[in-house]
Amino acid sequence: MPVSTRSPSARFRIVGALALAAALAAGCGSSDAGAGGDAGPTRKFVADNGTITIPAKPKRVVATGYAVPALLDSGAPLVGISTWQRGLPMMGAAERERYDEISKVAGESAAETNYNAIAKADPDLIVIGVPKPALADINMKRLESIAPVVTLGPSVPKAWRELSRRQADAAGALKGFDATRTAYELKAKQLAEKYKSVLPKLKLGHVGAYGEVAKGTFQREFHGSWGTNVAQDMGANYYGAVKVEGKGSRSVSEYPSIEELPDAFAEADAITYSLKADGSVPPPVQSVLDSPLWKNLPAVKAGKVFPLRYTEAATYREAEMTLDAADKAFAPLLK
Amino acid sequence: MTATATAADSTGSTWGARRPLLLLAGLVALATVMVASVGVGAHFIGPATALHALSGSGDPNDVALVRDIRLPRGALAIGVGAALAVSGVLVQVLSRNPLGEPGVLGVTSGAGFAISVGSGLGLTVNALGELLAAVVGAVAAAALVAAVGRRSPLRMLLAGMALSSVLTGLTLGMRLISPTVFDKYRFWSIGSLAGREQAPNTMPLLVIAVAVAAALLLSRQLAAVALGEAVAHTLGVNVTRVRLVTLVLITALAGAATAIAGPILFVGLIVPHLVRRAADGSVPWLIGFAAVLGPVLLLAADTAARVLLTTGEVPVAIVTAFLGGPALIWAVRRYGVAQP
Repeated sequence: MPVSTRSPSARFRIVGALALAAALAAGCGSSDAGAGGDAGPTRKFVADNGTITIPAKPKRVVATGYAVPALLDSGAPLVGISTWQRGLPMMGAAERERYDEISKVAGESAAETNYNAIAKADPDLIVIGVPKPALADINMKRLESIAPVVTLGPSVPKAWRELSRRQADAAGALKGFDATRTAYELKAKQLAEKYKSVLPKLKLGHVGAYGEVAKGTFQREFHGSWGTNVAQDMGANYYGAVKVEGKGSRSVSEYPSIEELPDAFAEADAITYSLKADGSVPPPVQSVLDSPLWKNLPAVKAGKVFPLRYTEAATYREAEMTLDAADKAFAPLLK
Repeated sequence: MTATATAADSTGSTWGARRPLLLLAGLVALATVMVASVGVGAHFIGPATALHALSGSGDPNDVALVRDIRLPRGALAIGVGAALAVSGVLVQVLSRNPLGEPGVLGVTSGAGFAISVGSGLGLTVNALGELLAAVVGAVAAAALVAAVGRRSPLRMLLAGMALSSVLTGLTLGMRLISPTVFDKYRFWSIGSLAGREQAPNTMPLLVIAVAVAAALLLSRQLAAVALGEAVAHTLGVNVTRVRLVTLVLITALAGAATAIAGPILFVGLIVPHLVRRAADGSVPWLIGFAAVLGPVLLLAADTAARVLLTTGEVPVAIVTAFLGGPALIWAVRRYGVAQP
């Protein structure tokens, strides 16, 4: 049997530290104990993780994943967010300033969630905006011990409209959300009117940014995908459908071999393709543009090829940028 | 290479007499696989259509597919396969280690590291930049390994493995820190020939052709070095010079192959073992057979990679790794207790 060689004072220090840790743990375990301690009126909210009781007017919100741009744009009372590198090029000066100011409590992936930082932010609501499979990387019990948690993750690409509305609703920021939505819908309507004589008549195809060069594939996107859904709001008509329907984005996009380019776009009157937010061509798209088969496509021969920026828009404010970019891209059709 | 085997070569064994026929058979197999590779893919092209397309007539898409995609891709497979197989032979003969392959000299990890640094600095914006970065990285890594391990083959292998580990760690760190580096590296790191036919590959293919020819010219002196320094000196061979030139050739071959197709493992390991018996102890024949069988293996793997899955292509490096795993076990079982 080993005999402890610690001095009595050392033992007291250990016991004291354990007692302090227990007290802190108890504090973290009660949602009534923090800044949101006086929870105030609550309401039931239907989220992906069930019906959750949340504050009627949250004052301190933590957001991760797709909830970050949605709640930034809606003006929600954020006290902690995950990093959102992919959205930086689509942020305006005001959004970027706010993004930089708010404490970062998680990284780009769900596995990089910093639970201590979230507890320190002392939220009264946590909005998790990551896809369902990524939820497996999050310790939900630990988060729920800090504050009520609503998970509202993306499903199909075009669902960002409803998703961002629900996220804003949970965070009590519908007013700000409605303002950006109204501005978007107005612009989309104006552009639909502007292009009504040309766009709806064209059979469009779209090359997405997520082909795999090493596998010799390209991404073809159909109605309701990231690269197409905003352009659709101004009247663009993307024809065809996936051969084998999958879940999520696989229901609206597929990854054929690059050798199938002629078959994929044989009927297309015009083709759009995704650019990075900085305007450069992503490598998977570049490999399509460099292919000798691309040059033989009827739409390419006719010069009806249009690059689209900001195809990753996931909020109405970002989608307004997509509309502006599409307007610029489609402008030659009106000449 | 053993003294016994070399003796067998000089006395003329059964294998020795058959070597020209075996080489011819290898060339016929290469031609057959090349013809198959022109027709097989997501879009099947029959032999008659392929012939029409070769002459530039018929459906423009078939013409583009055959002349601009599949034939250049086949040429790349031949070049890369020959480069990896011949450099594998050179590594194994020089180091007298049957498990040697070009990657152990740090060439692959050097190329990957350079591409990561290049993309982090915004230098590898196109295929040419990527190619140059890979070549520079491969050459720098091999030069460093050669400088550290110039006195003994074992020290060279250990230096190569150590440098590979360090560079792989640094590359991983850069990938985690920078999304741009991650983006670039994930496309490069899966060795594949898909889409690579559009890159400017003339120079690396020329380098490979010259290096294979040089390896054949050097093969007799290399065979003497493989017998041991004392024997080589007795035969009037300048051991230091042969080792240095061999290292340069290994670097040029593996560096060019990696620059074209990314890291493709196991070809450099498997092929020397597959042809060793047929070469019957002759280093020149070993190199000659490897220069034919390497392309056959890679071209066959690349052709199969196009149709193995209904969901799309499999990168050829995955096919060669799938074949290479069992081959490695075979090699370990065969050479685990006895030296080659």
